[in-house]
Amino acid sequence: MEKDAIIIGAGVIGCATARELSRYNLNVAVVEAGSDIAEGASKANSAIVHAGFDAKPGSNKAKFNVLGNRMFEEYCRELKVPFRRNGSLVLAFGMEDELALAELKQRGEQNGVPTFIIDRQELRRREPNVSDKATAALWAPTGGICCPYELAFRCAENAAANGAEFIFDAKVTGLKKEADGAWLVECADGRAFRTRAVVNAAGIRSDELNNMVSSVKYSIQARRGEYLMLDKDEDGVFSATMFQVPSKMGKGILVSPTVDGTVIVGPTAEDIPDKDDKATTFDGLEKVKAGARRTYPGLPLDKVITEFSGLRAHETTVGDFILGEVADAPFFFNAVGVESPGLTSAPAIGKFLAEAVAGRLSASRKNPAIISNAVSWWPKTREMSPAELAELVERDPSFGRVVCRCEGVTEGEIRAAIRARVGARTLDGVKRRTRSGMGRCQGGFCTPRLIEILGSELGLPPESFLLSRKTAPKGLRERETGGGEQVVDATLDVLVVGAGPAGLAAACAAKDAGAESVVIIERDDAPGGILQQCIHNGFGLHRFNEELTGPEYAQRYVDMAEERGVPVLCGTMVLDLSPLEGGSTAVTAMSPQGGLKKYIARSVVLAMGCRERPRGALMTPGTRPAGVYTAGTVQRLVNMDGIMPGRRVVILGSGDIGLIMARRLTFSGAKVLACVEIMKKSSGLMRNVVQCLNDYDIPLLLSHTVTDVEGREHVTGVKVSKVDDDLKPIPGTEIHFDCDTLVLSCGLIPENELTKKAGVEMDPKTRGPKVDLKTMATSVPGIFAGGNVVRVYDLVDWVSRDSEIAGRSAAEYAKRLKGASLK
Amino acid sequence: MKIICINCPKGCELEAEMKDGKPVVTGHTCPKGEEYGRAELVNPTRMVTGLVRVAGMRKPLPVKTKAAVPKKKIDEVLFAMHQATVQLPVRIGDVITSNVAGTGVDLVATANM
Repeated sequence: MEKDAIIIGAGVIGCATARELSRYNLNVAVVEAGSDIAEGASKANSAIVHAGFDAKPGSNKAKFNVLGNRMFEEYCRELKVPFRRNGSLVLAFGMEDELALAELKQRGEQNGVPTFIIDRQELRRREPNVSDKATAALWAPTGGICCPYELAFRCAENAAANGAEFIFDAKVTGLKKEADGAWLVECADGRAFRTRAVVNAAGIRSDELNNMVSSVKYSIQARRGEYLMLDKDEDGVFSATMFQVPSKMGKGILVSPTVDGTVIVGPTAEDIPDKDDKATTFDGLEKVKAGARRTYPGLPLDKVITEFSGLRAHETTVGDFILGEVADAPFFFNAVGVESPGLTSAPAIGKFLAEAVAGRLSASRKNPAIISNAVSWWPKTREMSPAELAELVERDPSFGRVVCRCEGVTEGEIRAAIRARVGARTLDGVKRRTRSGMGRCQGGFCTPRLIEILGSELGLPPESFLLSRKTAPKGLRERETGGGEQVVDATLDVLVVGAGPAGLAAACAAKDAGAESVVIIERDDAPGGILQQCIHNGFGLHRFNEELTGPEYAQRYVDMAEERGVPVLCGTMVLDLSPLEGGSTAVTAMSPQGGLKKYIARSVVLAMGCRERPRGALMTPGTRPAGVYTAGTVQRLVNMDGIMPGRRVVILGSGDIGLIMARRLTFSGAKVLACVEIMKKSSGLMRNVVQCLNDYDIPLLLSHTVTDVEGREHVTGVKVSKVDDDLKPIPGTEIHFDCDTLVLSCGLIPENELTKKAGVEMDPKTRGPKVDLKTMATSVPGIFAGGNVVRVYDLVDWVSRDSEIAGRSAAEYAKRLKGASLK
Repeated sequence: MKIICINCPKGCELEAEMKDGKPVVTGHTCPKGEEYGRAELVNPTRMVTGLVRVAGMRKPLPVKTKAAVPKKKIDEVLFAMHQATVQLPVRIGDVITSNVAGTGVDLVATANM
């Protein structure tokens, strides 16, 4: 069917235009080369709503920045997109910079943007973590932060609610003017669409589309920006967005809070020849670190959860936004060269273009009564009050099943994101819509679950979603507590968080030591923890005096818990722990069957285990394709889900799980090309080097590391370099491997988010709680800890032994507390 | 021959040599180590763990050889695992394939499913 208007490009500009245009009596479609909304610059940028003081007065950039900025509050409220006006600061380091600040202030005045110069003292008062080398700053209170892809998604959702159609995987290769004046939009796959008007919102390729139809030629230069993302532990380190004095290439390296509670650091600005090259580089990441340290000398590299890069569409002939109908191509409208402040300008550009198109087509506005502000959206359970959440889980139990533990995303949200009007169709699509897989473990735990849900919703085999992913990162909100939950049991003696080997051992020991009511809460669907997927042998030599496999070892403890009548509440996620006056602890937990519940426990044993270090924490340069997994994720896929992630594998890191998986993947028919270890010796046990690598002639490359990851959609190869004594790669030592999978086995980190919520004192060395080794008591009375949540153990036998101590201590504490209350 | 013992996480370094037609091991700290060192010279063996298809399910069943099997038989044991399909229910210790690959060792389930 003929369209009235086709928008090419489903980035934030295309979607904002579609949203406005769908309010007219027009037949609107958005044609997108990628497979989802916001696949280009809209998914990888600084996420800043700029105040507008630095754009050249009189330029389109200045005009639309200021207009857009003013529209943001209402726009985001209507679309339910998070937005915060946190203000921007531009830092000066010395006299020269201070002169630049004065100039910026003047520009701001010309652009109608209020700014204030503040001195060093005032700056330190507002931002205590800022470098003391900063001598002054420009304060722009109207600066803000937003989530760019969320804005694009919700514009698209709203456009779809008003009838706009979205067509994906349609790369436009031809634009022809028909004899009757209509445009024929031709796609690479042979599809063609007739339309009266075209809007060119093709971002980095907008020059190519313009040049097909007009004699006035433009040229877009891809300008790459690399970023680091910091864990939400860093939330609050700065309240404003911290800029430095801008240069010709852009606004410089900033450090900013995000609306998701993480901290974004970057970008670099580098002109590159390839419009698809979104790899990160060693040099680029070094520049980001160095630049960020000028602002934030304490930049903690161990809080980096991921890196990524985005491409700005820099137009080189005009250097400004080129907006509106093309003089020699009637009914063809441009949005060319929309780089920063493009996100800020999006609401204003969308409105401007829609009005221009509608005016030209003499279209009337739809009856306000039928214009919808709807966004078919999924509730964000992590932002709901306990009462709201409890009600939702009762209506739909799938909102009680937490799939992504780092970001607190439930199965219900994921299904809703797939079922939405413009729903997710890829792993990356689910991630960006729900934040699942964007937290500190970077999808290590939830990826197998996500592909299963995607598969069931879309009727495809789960492994098909592993072929391509594409990614971006962020952080969890504190859930509001108080009110809403049912208080369950009057009081439990001992509540154990986690039914892995540590939790099961603690619960059994507590029961044996006389605790009456002992309950284990487990987030997975079955007890046993990570041992369920450790199907190899080598467990239990000390504890049971025989060699068992992981599932066998786990079953022994599951049986022991059952014999002692200890209930394991599976599929239940503990959301909050808070110590109460009098020495007991309140535990809030959620499950699909039980909804939201609050338990009171005299003592609590923490046994949440650990997680793997994700790629992002390693800062390995290269592209971000599908096919990079942590060893534990591969173990889960192969051993539990029957999915082989690849055929030619390189393993980075020589942790035990990596070594074990080298053998498992070999057994399952894959070729493991090498195991690459940056240190001089293996971090895993020698016996695993022998029986997993040596037995199968898999080379172990010591003092080597992966220095580049290649492949756009899926991994196609990796580069490995030798490192010197400072662990820096030595140029000229590169070895190339053609592979389709990179497996990471680079360390485990105790998982202590709950521990921190409870106010337990942490040990920076182990990254677990400080404990008294005799009792396994933490700094909070009544809270004990056992197993890998305390420190990462080599052997499960010792996990069981120490957790039994925690269980007994918890039982004794409960007894004392009971005795005290009887008196 | 230098051998690293795989019996426990200690990973003792053994020295194993044929002397007068007999394997002699030094460097071990327990009897299991000595036994292992001898076997490495004469007939190296390994436990093999793996997965077996479950009828009508995607999730596989974990299995193991009930005892160590000759190293040179590992490929055949893996092939036998690949050929097998089990019907549920299965309990830990149930024999999935007896005398797997002619080793005289049974293949047994290592999980309840």
